[in-house]
Amino acid sequence: MKKQAISLLFCLSATLLAAPSWATGDARKGADVFAEECGDCHSAAAGKNKKGPSLNGVFGRKAGSVTDFSGYSEAMKQSGITWAADKVDAYITQPRKVVAGGKMKYDGLGDAAARADVIAYLMSVK
Amino acid sequence: MNILTYARLAWQRHANLRRLAALAGIGATLAMTIPNAQAVPSYARQTGSECAACHVGGYGPQLTPYGIRFKINGYTDSDGKDGKIPLSAMMVVNATRTAKDAPEADKVEHFNGNNNVAMQEASVFVAGKLADNIGSFVQVTYSGVDRTYALDQADVRYARSLKLGDKEMTVGVSLNTNPTLTDPFNTLGQWRFPYTQSDFNPGFGPAAPKVESLGGGVMGVNAYAFYDDSLYAELGLYNNLSKKALNVFNTEDQGKFKGLGTYGRIAYFKDRKRDNFSFGLFGFSADIQDRADPGPADKYRDLGLDASYQYLGNRQHIFTANASYVREWQRLNATLAGADDVHNSIDQFRAAGSYHFDQTWGGTVGLFDLRGKSNSSLYSSVDDTTGLVTNGSINGRPNTRGYILQADWTPWGKEGSWGNGWANVRVGIQYTGYNRFMGGSTYLDNDGNERRARDNNTTMLFLWTSI
Repeated sequence: MKKQAISLLFCLSATLLAAPSWATGDARKGADVFAEECGDCHSAAAGKNKKGPSLNGVFGRKAGSVTDFSGYSEAMKQSGITWAADKVDAYITQPRKVVAGGKMKYDGLGDAAARADVIAYLMSVK
Repeated sequence: MNILTYARLAWQRHANLRRLAALAGIGATLAMTIPNAQAVPSYARQTGSECAACHVGGYGPQLTPYGIRFKINGYTDSDGKDGKIPLSAMMVVNATRTAKDAPEADKVEHFNGNNNVAMQEASVFVAGKLADNIGSFVQVTYSGVDRTYALDQADVRYARSLKLGDKEMTVGVSLNTNPTLTDPFNTLGQWRFPYTQSDFNPGFGPAAPKVESLGGGVMGVNAYAFYDDSLYAELGLYNNLSKKALNVFNTEDQGKFKGLGTYGRIAYFKDRKRDNFSFGLFGFSADIQDRADPGPADKYRDLGLDASYQYLGNRQHIFTANASYVREWQRLNATLAGADDVHNSIDQFRAAGSYHFDQTWGGTVGLFDLRGKSNSSLYSSVDDTTGLVTNGSINGRPNTRGYILQADWTPWGKEGSWGNGWANVRVGIQYTGYNRFMGGSTYLDNDGNERRARDNNTTMLFLWTSI
C-alpha cells in the first residue's frame, strides 16, 4: 500500500513537472498581459472584432474562421490550425514562424510565464 | 485677449509692429500657437477599436504606439470591413476667465473684456481610409470666436509596407498644410500639450519658431519611412499658398517663400508594450519675402530636440512625459532692413507630464518657456520723439514663461463604453499661469498701460465632444 502511494505520488509529480507551462497560468495576471500585449488589436468580448478578430472562445476554433471578420490573411486561413493551448502558445511566441505570411504585426512574447497567464485568461473568458 | 485682434490693432496703431506683422506674421504666429483640438471617432469606427487604443486617456490627440502606427500606416488600418464612412465632427465649448480684464484695445468683437463663454470651434473631418493605401486627416473648422470658416488642417497620405531583408519598413508620402502636422509623436508644435486652449488666452509669447507657425498658409509634400518599428525619418518640401488658395481656404498669409522651405525629422522609437519612449531631432529652413513687395528675404533656420516617454502598463495607470527644445536663428533682411543688426534668435522649451487613471480621469502639468534676444524693433513700439516704449516688451525681449495645469474627465472612449466608436466627450478645467510675459514680469499692453504677466493668468472650463 505504501509502495503504491509512493508510486502514485511519483507519477503525479512527474505529470505536473512535465505539464506545459500554459497549464499553470494565472488568469488574473493574464488579463493584464492581454491589456498590455493584445488589447489594442483584439478584444476578449464575444463578437467584438478590431484590427484582429475577437479572441473570445478561441480555443477549439479553426484559424481564420470568425465569420464576421474579414481581415484574415490567406496564410492564416490556409494554416489548418485549430487553436488549442499549445498552438496559441507557439503562435504568440513567434507569430511569423507559425504562420508565415500572416498579417499580425507582433514580434512575439518571449516570457513563457506571461504566455501561460494570457492563455489562462483567454480560457477563462470563453 | 484675442490674438488676431491684438495683431489687427497693433497693425493699425504702430509702425514698428506693422513691419513685423507684415513679414513675420505675428498674428498668425500667435494664432498657430493656440492649438486646435482633434479627436476623430471615424478612425475608431474604421478600426473597430475604442478611442483609448489610439489615444492616452481615451481622447485625442496624444497617441499610444497603436495610434502612432495607425498614423504612419496612412490612416488606413481597419477591421477589414468595407463601407465605413470617413466623416467625423467635433465641437469645443469653453468658458474663460482671465485674472484681469483685457485692455480695451484687445477686446474681441462680440465678446466681453473678460468672463466669456464661447463655442470656440466646430469642425468637420474627412478622416479615414479613402483607398487601400490612401487615407486622410482633413479638418474644416468654424471658429465661434472669429466667426469664420477655414481649412484648419489637411494631411492626405499614401503609405505601404516593404520588406528589407527580414525587417519591415513602412514608407509613405503626405500632402499636407503644416510642417509638424505629419509627426507621429506628441512633442512638436501641432500635437503637443495643451491639446485645447481658449482663444481668449494670450498664448505663449510674441514669437514662435517658424516650424510651428506656418499652419494653413503653406502646402508641403513629405516623404517618410519607419524602419523596423523603431527608426522614423521624414523629409518635407513646403511652399506658400497662392493668394487665391488663401482666399479659398480662408487661411493666414505666411508671406512668399523664396525657394522652398525644407522640413526634416529623424527619431528613434522603442515600444516595449508596457512602456515606450522616443527621442529625435527636427529642423526647418525657409526664406520668406513680403508678398506685396518681394525683395530681400527673412531667413529662418530651426533646429530642435525632442523626447517622450509613456508608461501604459495594463492601461489603468498611465504616465506620460513629453519635451521639446527648439532654437531658431533669424536673419531678418526684410523685416529689419536698414537696421544695424538683422540677426535675431529665439529659444523655445516645452514640456508636459500627465497621469491618467482608468483612461477616464486625467491630470497634466505643462511648462512653456520662450526666450530671445533683445530687439525693440520686433517686440516693442517706441515713440520716435521720446525714445520711450509705448507698447509691448519693456526690455525689448520676447521672454514668456509659465505653466499649465489641467484636470479632465473622459467618461467614454473605452471598450464597452456607451457610444463607443460613435461619440466621445471630455470635460476639463485648465489653468495657465504666467511668470513672464513679453520680456518680464510686466509689459505695456495695447492701451499703453503697464500690465503684469500674471494679469494674464487664465482659467478655462471646457467641453470637448466628437462624433
